Order: sequence, then structure tokens, then C-alpha cells
Amino acid sequence: MDFSLPESAQAVQRGIAGICSRYGMDYWERCETEKRWPEEVWAELAKGGWLGLAVPEEYGGAGQGLLELAVATETLSASGSAGGSAFTYVLTPGFGAMTLARHGTAAQKAELLPKLATGEIETCFALTEPDAGSNSLAISTFARQDGGEFVVNGQKIWITGVQRATWMLLVTRTIPAAEARPRANGMTVFLVNVPEAVAAGQLSYRPISKMGANTTPSNMVFIDELRVPAENVVGELHGGAVVLWDILNPERILLGASALGGAEVALRVGVNYAKEREVFGRPIGSNQAIAFPLAQVKAKIELARLMLYKAAWAFDNRLPCGTEANIAKLTASQAAWEAADAAFQTHGGMAYSLEYPVARLLTDARIGKIAPVTEELLLNYLATQVLGLPRSF
Amino acid sequence: MNIVVCVKQVPDTATERKLRSDDKTLDRDAADGVINELCEYAVEEALKIKEAHGGEVTVLTMGPSKATDTIRKALAMGADKAVHLVDDALHGSDALSTSYALAQTLKKIGFDLVILGSESTDARTGVLAAMLAERLGTPQLTLARKVDIDGSAVTIERVTDYGYDKVEASLPAVVSVVEKINEPRYPSFKGIMAAKKKPVETLGIADAEIAADQVGLASAWSEVVEFAAAPPRAAGTVVKDEGDGGAKAAEFLASKKFI
Repeated sequence: MDFSLPESAQAVQRGIAGICSRYGMDYWERCETEKRWPEEVWAELAKGGWLGLAVPEEYGGAGQGLLELAVATETLSASGSAGGSAFTYVLTPGFGAMTLARHGTAAQKAELLPKLATGEIETCFALTEPDAGSNSLAISTFARQDGGEFVVNGQKIWITGVQRATWMLLVTRTIPAAEARPRANGMTVFLVNVPEAVAAGQLSYRPISKMGANTTPSNMVFIDELRVPAENVVGELHGGAVVLWDILNPERILLGASALGGAEVALRVGVNYAKEREVFGRPIGSNQAIAFPLAQVKAKIELARLMLYKAAWAFDNRLPCGTEANIAKLTASQAAWEAADAAFQTHGGMAYSLEYPVARLLTDARIGKIAPVTEELLLNYLATQVLGLPRSF
Repeated sequence: MNIVVCVKQVPDTATERKLRSDDKTLDRDAADGVINELCEYAVEEALKIKEAHGGEVTVLTMGPSKATDTIRKALAMGADKAVHLVDDALHGSDALSTSYALAQTLKKIGFDLVILGSESTDARTGVLAAMLAERLGTPQLTLARKVDIDGSAVTIERVTDYGYDKVEASLPAVVSVVEKINEPRYPSFKGIMAAKKKPVETLGIADAEIAADQVGLASAWSEVVEFAAAPPRAAGTVVKDEGDGGAKAAEFLASKKFI
């Protein structure tokens, strides 16, 4: 058994860390406060080929897999962006490039992958609906066929990054949920050209005011008689569930990686403060009440990382990875939350001051317990799908 | 054009740097080794010249075996190949003997243009480019903030206290650069992966025809007699402003001959 990261993933660690070394915590704080996209880092990521990690080489990418994307996300997050900014990286290199590389048609790949690799175009992913959050198969956004086109109507919520996206991966029903047998049948994923749809008045969006992760806005999306050519179907008509799992599992893994990086940042901040801050004539870190929670977090980070890399490895090797992805997401997000909480507690009263980064880290870490899927649903998966316990729903 | 960039691995300035108690040389194991920052600017300039005029960029470093990390960094940025001068006999070499060892190596591998950072963050002597040019019998163009190549002529803008001097020479030549010259690129994914496969030639002192009695600690012209930790910073002087703060500040500055 070999636990060392492949050279490609080590190259990712070194390369991304190199870029991030010139953009510290302050930079990410500023982006968050100003609610702006980290343009400078993004430009460097594009220049170095880091956005095209998962794009096959014949389309101008690096030909790597989810493991390299996960390591990139983790490194970016650990440099100070923490969980809140990880969507910067997940939206296009993950949702867009990864999905099209595996499920796109020859024409879609030839047209989009080279531009995704360079960052010339960006993508977003639209699944969640006001009445279908955790229960993804219950979505009601419907695409009806009309000659060579589909006409889509519906509403989406929590769609992140629509503002910058040229293309949206839009998940629809082409057979209503009530009629679909099995339930996963009748899902269809479309590529929607966002600027064109907006210009035609067929798609609109409104940002949601949110408590953190403000480098990338999340939106309500309204879809009204949106016309999409049939060649924009990703994967099979009615067979979108296959595509969907290959988006949702990587999403869990990448956001797990982001949480893990956030945990690392919080632990670093907490440990540094515990070493420097002196009360009663000694550093507070010499008190076990302060030291042990930090040590505990370290243990959880290392455990979560093992599962995260294993999940990414399984996905890249086309092995079932649902269990691993869910465990990785669950444990990495818990580690991030506990790390942020331990760092917060370590800072004592100063934690509440926005002059210290711990308040942001706490806010960032909290999202991991509810998004892109709640902790409870991850536990449900393990309880019912893995342990075979009876379903409550 | 055959461009050789001299790069140096230095202890990370972000970590605590130490001297060894036994021979009073730098303790290279005590800190992480990183590429000297100004060397990145030198590599970047070499790559730019290559991109504009063609040729090949060779990285040359003298240092212990762990300096390969620094070589790989320069190769990941885009240099074509590297020469690593590594020999226990070189340990403790001062600037004079380092310039001798590098000059011998450069004579062996050949060059049209040698580019260096103007100083390193560890020793900070800032004299290597000049010594190297002298030993190689080539013009020295130091402290460049801009380099232009035109045929066999090289022109630089040399940073001075009053602005800059325009200095021109013919190739082959030695150029040292300052941080104003460019913005070093980050290694790309493909660059990092490709760097692993680029040729790195390892030379010992015999290979480069370096005389053992001209290098190393025993041959150094300078000697570290004694060293001590920097004293902790003394408490500052607090001047309370009672309407005469400006005058008191001026007095203080005058007493230190700042004004």
C-alpha cells in the first residue's frame, strides 16, 4: 500500500502554493469584505494551466483527475481563502470541465473544453430548487421537447456563479418525478448559454444576500420558456441521473477538500495564537484546555484527508465512490467546523473582533455542515445505503 | 544564444536562520532551502531573452545535494537544463572561491550571457557578478533594471542612487539584475511536471577542473571569528507630546544624525 501522493498531485500542491504565497489571508479577507471575485489569483491560475487540470490533454488541458482537483482546492483553501472562496475553483474546473470531459458529446468537448482549460469561459451548475433541496430527484423544472429544441420552465435557488458563467449545467426533468420509474429516470442535463438566455429574456437571476462566501454570489434563477437546442443535452436524454452523480460525488469531494483547507487555516491561526498569547505569565497553549481541542482537530484533519484522497482516487478509477465521498465530506466539514470553533475559543474575547480572521473562518466553516448537502443527509446515506437501516422517509 | 543563469539555494527567510557551532558556516539543515528570490528574477529575465531571441537557458547552481529542489524550481519556470556543481570540498567557500568555482564551471560548459541575481538573502555580499566577470575576462553589467540584447551587444539600465546609467557591452558578458527588472512567472502545471524530466548534469570539482586548494572553508579569504545572537531590541524612547512633540522628535533625529 502506497500512501504517497502521485507526482502530479505533488506538482499541484507546489504550484498552487507558489501562487498563493503572494496572496495571504489579508487578500482573501479583502475579497470577502468587498464581495468580489479574486481576479488576481484567478488570472494566475488561468495562466499556469491550473484551471484545466481535469481537461484531457487533447483539449489543451493537463489530463489529470479529481485527485489533482481536490488537492488544488485544498491547497487554495489552506492558503487562506478557506471554505468560502473554494467555489472559485469548483465551479469551472470541477462542475464544468470535469463533467464535460466525462459526459460531453464530441462536439461539446471540442467547443468548450479548450476554453474551459484556459479560463476563457466559465460554468455554473443549477440543480437545487425552492421545493427540492436535498431531495434532488423531486425537482420540477421541466423541459418539454419541441422539434429540435427543448423548452424549459422552472425555478432554481442557490445557484452560485451565474454572473460569470457563459454556460450553465441545468438539471431538469423530462419525465415528471411522479411518473418516473425508477425515480431517477427522466432527468436530463442541459448546457445553457447564460448570456444568450438572459438577452432573450428566458432566464433571469437575483443574488441572495448571504452570511459568508461572498466572493461568489449565489442566486435565485428564473427560467421562462427557455429554448435549448437538443444537441445541448449532456449525457443521455432522460438519463441525466448518471451525469448528476458524477457531478454530485465530485462536488462532495471538492467541497470536502475546501473544508479541509479551511480546517488547516483555522488550526494554523489557532495554534499561532496559542503560542503567542500570554496570560498568567505563560503562553495559553501550555494549558491543556487550549491545547487538546487543537490536537484533537489535527487528528480529525488527518483522518478526513485520508478518506478524501481515497474518495477522489476511487472516482478517478471509476470505482463506486458514494460512500467514500459522503464520509469524506462529512468528516472534513466537521473537522473544519471544530477547527474554526477551537481557533475561535483559543482567541478568547478577541475572537469576536473582526480584526482577527477567526470570525470569518467560523462563518466559512459553518456552511460545510449544510452545503452542498446537509450533514443529516450524509448520515442518512450512510445509515440507509451503507448500513441498510430502514428509511424514515 | 547560450544563456546561463546562476541560482542559489538559501535558507528560507521566513524561518530562523542559524550558523553552525562547529565550523561557523551556515547551518543549511536548520532551515528549509528555497530559491534565492532575486535568482527568480534572473531566471525570468533569461527566459524572456530566450523567448525574444531564441537559444537555450541553462541553470547553474553550486550547493549541497538538497539544492536540486532549487534547480527544479528554475527548470519548472521554463529553463531547459541544469548543471549542479556539488562537492564536499566546496563546503565553506567564500565569495572569492565561489566565483572561482563557478567561473571554472562556466568555462567548461560555455556561455554567451551569464545572468545572476544581484545578491543573495543569506550572505548578501553582492559581489559575485563582478568577481565572476573578472575571472571570466568578460564585461560586467551589474544591478540591471532592464536588459536589451541587440546582436552581439547587450545594454542595461544600471540602477544608481540618482536614477540609472545606461551601460553597454559586447557579448559574452555577465549581468546581474535587481527586483525592478520583471515579475517572475509562477511555474505552470506542465512546467513542474516537465521539470522532472529535464537533464541535470552533476559535476564535482575534478569534473570542472577546480583546484581543491582554491575552494572550501580552509581556503576562504574571509573568516568568521565569532558570532552571537542579535541582542533583543531595547525598549524604545517614548516622547510625550506636550505641544513640543515636533521639536523633541527633531532633536532625537538630529542626535542620531538623521537630520
